[in-house]
Amino acid sequence: MIYLKEVSKVYNKSAKKALDNISVHIKPKEFVIFVGLSGAGKSTLTKLITHEEEPSSGTISIGGIDYSKLKKRDVPYLRRKIGVVFQDFKLLPRKTIYENIAYALEVAGIGGKTIRSRVPQVLKMVGLESKAKNFPKELSGGEMQRVAIARALVHDPKILIADEPTGNLDPKNAWEIIDLLLKVNEYGTTVILTTHNKEIVNALKKRVITLKNGKIIKDQEVGRYALQ
Amino acid sequence: MLFTTFYRLAKTGFVNFLRNGWLSLASTIIMTLTLITISVFLILNIVLTQGIQTIQDKIDISVYLKDSATSQTIFNMQKDLSNNPDVKQVNYITKDQAKQRYDTTFANNPQLKDSLDQSGNPLPASLEIKTYDPSKLASLMPMFDRPPYKDAVSKVSYQDNKQVIDRLFKATEFIKKVGWGLAIAFILTSLIIIFNTIRTAIYTHKSEIEIMKLVGANPWFIKWPFLIEGILYGVFGTALSLLVIYILLRLLSVSFNAYFGGGSTGDQVFGFLMQNLGPLLFLQLAAGITIGVVSSSVAIRKYLKKS
Ligand SMILES: Nc1ncnc2c1ncn2[C@@H]1O[C@H](COP(=O)(O)OP(=O)(O)OP(=O)(O)O)[C@@H](O)[C@H]1O
Ligand SMILES: [Mg+2]
Repeated sequence: MIYLKEVSKVYNKSAKKALDNISVHIKPKEFVIFVGLSGAGKSTLTKLITHEEEPSSGTISIGGIDYSKLKKRDVPYLRRKIGVVFQDFKLLPRKTIYENIAYALEVAGIGGKTIRSRVPQVLKMVGLESKAKNFPKELSGGEMQRVAIARALVHDPKILIADEPTGNLDPKNAWEIIDLLLKVNEYGTTVILTTHNKEIVNALKKRVITLKNGKIIKDQEVGRYALQ
Repeated sequence: MLFTTFYRLAKTGFVNFLRNGWLSLASTIIMTLTLITISVFLILNIVLTQGIQTIQDKIDISVYLKDSATSQTIFNMQKDLSNNPDVKQVNYITKDQAKQRYDTTFANNPQLKDSLDQSGNPLPASLEIKTYDPSKLASLMPMFDRPPYKDAVSKVSYQDNKQVIDRLFKATEFIKKVGWGLAIAFILTSLIIIFNTIRTAIYTHKSEIEIMKLVGANPWFIKWPFLIEGILYGVFGTALSLLVIYILLRLLSVSFNAYFGGGSTGDQVFGFLMQNLGPLLFLQLAAGITIGVVSSSVAIRKYLKKS
């Protein structure tokens, strides 16, 4: 379903490669964890999948769509099929929590009735019903992260990319989020998780792909955290 | 679906306008100043042009005829003048009419009136000529110096007034040019300022635009709320600028009246505003909305280029 073939990414010509000749195949409904030290290229990989960045070389295709043939005007439609929990949340500062989540549905032209029933549902899922009317700047880091997760899930995406979604959470909240990801995966969504959290990686017993300096150094069906 | 989308975009635009607080207020005030500048210069130029027109309409020449001139010659002369495309109007003033005018002018000065009555009627008949453009008067002069009209004409008033007319003519042309020059300079300056204000306002939201793209918004879905904010600057700018112009002119006419009594220039300008309130409102609204929308859409374009 998600194919990356010999993909490299160089941001500035002089700098080292952020991704170096990566080839991966992620099957539908799979749960994949990318681990790697800071700067290994995890976020870059997710940005390539959402077409936020384009590869310097290599080919990417998702659900049969070859990214090199993707037209500019089709990119929004592609993104609506993917839910992303951004490492830096990317919430809209002028919108309330409720409006931030609703926006992901509005862009797709989904009706008001559906929005009014669906948004409270996901807010409840991440335990933030009481913050619906607050603005992002009035929330803690962990709360913002949970809003980002709610927004990524609200439109039932085919693919969910969670870039370090537990980074700002205490262990209890972190596990709640991981449980949520597992549940979503059970219902049929492909989940791509990047994390530094050794405990979580080892407990999940899922496919683990280890990145180092932009290269894949390990890809195990039931992996463990193998970095210091 | 279409209605829902329209409603959402409009609502988002309104809500963003309100939540932007100071930035919206600043943009609206700059828009107000822009519209005031445009309106004031437009009003001044209209009033000025009308004033100049009124003065120019008063410029004419009189061709005084000898008593010996035959009615056939006078008739021919009148016809020739009327056929000239530059000539707006030719009036034949008979000796009797000239006398009547004299009498009315000096009605309350019996001495002057009587002095003329005793000497018969020495006042000459004349042709009063107006051209559409007073600068064309000079070109009519030669025909009065040539046969067949030379012998019928005793004097042309133009010679006496030539200097005054020329000077007046030059002055009005100068004022018109300066007026439009100033108007264009001020209007351009204020357009540049409002465009930069809106551009800055959109710049402060550039990371939001990035986020919107990343969650799958179409370019137009991102763009329209910003355009609606632009429209709102225009609408509120119009309301504010009309209010400011109204208050300023009210104060102006009150203080004018205090100096010169009622019916003064202040009253006239204020009256002019009241009479043209509809067109002015329409003009400001059209200008404000156009400026708001065009500035916003030009400013946002570069953030929407990349998908
Ligand atoms: N926009 C950019 N411009 C230039 N260089 C970049 C850019 N984004 C990332 N890089 C570089 O690419 C490399 C990979 O970065 P990336 O964000 O993918 O790492 P990461 O694995 O997500 O790290 P972390 O765990 O800290 O989030 C780093 O060396 C980083 O400095
Ligand atoms: Mg990262």
